Amino acid sequence: MTPFIHVWRMTCYEWFDALRSRRALVALLLYMATSVGTMYWSISLLQKVEKELASILLLPASEHPGAIATTLWKSKPFQGIMRQVSKNNEVFNDIQGKNPVELIYAWLSFFYMPLLVVLIAANRIPEEMGSGAVRYIAFRTSRGAWVLGKFFGQVSLIALAVIISGLCAYAVARFRLGRYAPVEIVWNMAFWAARAWIYSIPFVGLIMGLSLFTKSASKSTIFGILALVGLAIITGVTTFFRAGTGWCVVLPYIAALFPSDYEMLLWRSSPQPLITGAIFLVTLGFTYLGVGYFFFKKRDL
Amino acid sequence: MITALEISNLVKCYGKRRALDGLTLRIPRYSVTGLVGSNGAGKTTLMMTVAGFLTPNSGQINLLGNGPFDADVHGGRFSILPQDSELPLTSRPLELLTHYGRLQGLSLQDAQKSASAMLEAINLGDRANSPIRSLSHGMRKRIMAGQCFLGNPEIILLDEPLNGLDPREATRMRSFIAKRRNEQTIVISSHNLNDIEQLCDHVAFIEKGKTLRFAPVENMTRKASILVYQLTGMPADMLLLEQTLGEKGKLDFNPETNRLTCHYAEQSIPATELNQRMIPVILSQCGLISITQGSTLEEEYLKHTV
Repeated sequence: MTPFIHVWRMTCYEWFDALRSRRALVALLLYMATSVGTMYWSISLLQKVEKELASILLLPASEHPGAIATTLWKSKPFQGIMRQVSKNNEVFNDIQGKNPVELIYAWLSFFYMPLLVVLIAANRIPEEMGSGAVRYIAFRTSRGAWVLGKFFGQVSLIALAVIISGLCAYAVARFRLGRYAPVEIVWNMAFWAARAWIYSIPFVGLIMGLSLFTKSASKSTIFGILALVGLAIITGVTTFFRAGTGWCVVLPYIAALFPSDYEMLLWRSSPQPLITGAIFLVTLGFTYLGVGYFFFKKRDL
Repeated sequence: MITALEISNLVKCYGKRRALDGLTLRIPRYSVTGLVGSNGAGKTTLMMTVAGFLTPNSGQINLLGNGPFDADVHGGRFSILPQDSELPLTSRPLELLTHYGRLQGLSLQDAQKSASAMLEAINLGDRANSPIRSLSHGMRKRIMAGQCFLGNPEIILLDEPLNGLDPREATRMRSFIAKRRNEQTIVISSHNLNDIEQLCDHVAFIEKGKTLRFAPVENMTRKASILVYQLTGMPADMLLLEQTLGEKGKLDFNPETNRLTCHYAEQSIPATELNQRMIPVILSQCGLISITQGSTLEEEYLKHTV
């Protein structure tokens, strides 16, 4: 039997088993609830902002949030504000004119993704190592196939999470916005879901790679959270000092080792930056996992 | 002798402690071999190292003539019942065993068939779809043991297979293992020497990470060379007894235990003939409580590991 078949079987079982695990289900439900909540809250906020803008700009108030936002995209001052917010002209050009619902969904999918990964994936490997369950597998298949199977299982579980959360978020948007959340944007949201899923891959690699260093599920979750905090700090430092001189010149190279450096490529519309971003993010995911596996390969089970 | 497992000068250290200290052992193919030793002697470490769970510090392992364990080479041909290893608690026995069977290269149908048959064999057919979390310790242990035999691997290592089983299930498991004799190479680690004596044809005494002795059980217990007469007291005339035995053997009496041990060679005089000669003479001098052929494994173990 080829190693690919082993990986495939492990992936299928992992997917099946992870779905049954209460923790993964709770994480999925939480992610779904967060998506729904954030969408609901964002629409309410949008409605409030629109009302205020309407009164300032002396426009007729609309019952439906989003109606004014669509008009607003055409206003030059508003475009200037959004350009400042996105801090990236190319991204701004690509997202302008898009329906606020899909942009809210895109933002929330990217924002919550690392946390979802920690909640779902951090404990899968240490749980089996701690209980010894891995030993029933380790003489039937290689450690590499086991780790890859777990990795792909988690990655596919996250795909399910983004799809479900996307559908729920759209349902809320449709309920709140009616015709301003047309069915056509479901396709766009699916596209954002796919991008968020690709963005999750380096985080799954990182969290599972780290989890290969411990046999304790709780320690692994703590490692994961610390890693996310560390990433946020590194991203902040590299962004802040990027334009500096002296030691700061190495910062772009350091930043290139982390997913945040490629996130904005996934917000672009043209295929070239999208594919480049996806390739870098997937490579990072496998690199992080590979580093963990290098240690795990020889460790005592 | 065709060897199923060959281990030479195996060393495994946990920090400064040497759990395996140059252990050497050759397990014959199709044998049932018992590993006997005190706690911390290195039996479990040996099994875990052979299975590739632990990385040895030095030494060689040759499993089925294909070098040390490698899942790509030995997958499906080797299995182990590891000690202190829980099964995944959310899984269900039938689906878990099917998954294991699939990983060993069985088709879905064969894996399902083997898993069902195995659950029937270990008397858990009615709990095939219960979550493992809901099963008792003994039931889980039976599944752990059962998974070893899926797909008929060539060599099976069982670490304390009867621990935690109730007497009825232990008997059932014993006969389950005994049925595999001469079909598969089985290595059993146990503290229960009676089990080892019943199940195994070879035995290895392991102490302090080394093999002290390895031999067929028959040779170890010398069934064909020792007769032990348990007497009620000391025989009045030892000389007469020695004369009765003559050149055929040698007598040894232990006054503390009132045991008269007769060392003989089965080739020169069969045990039945020896008894016919000795019993009347013994009975003329004292009472005879029992006659045992050979020593027990326990006696041999205690003798060799003092």
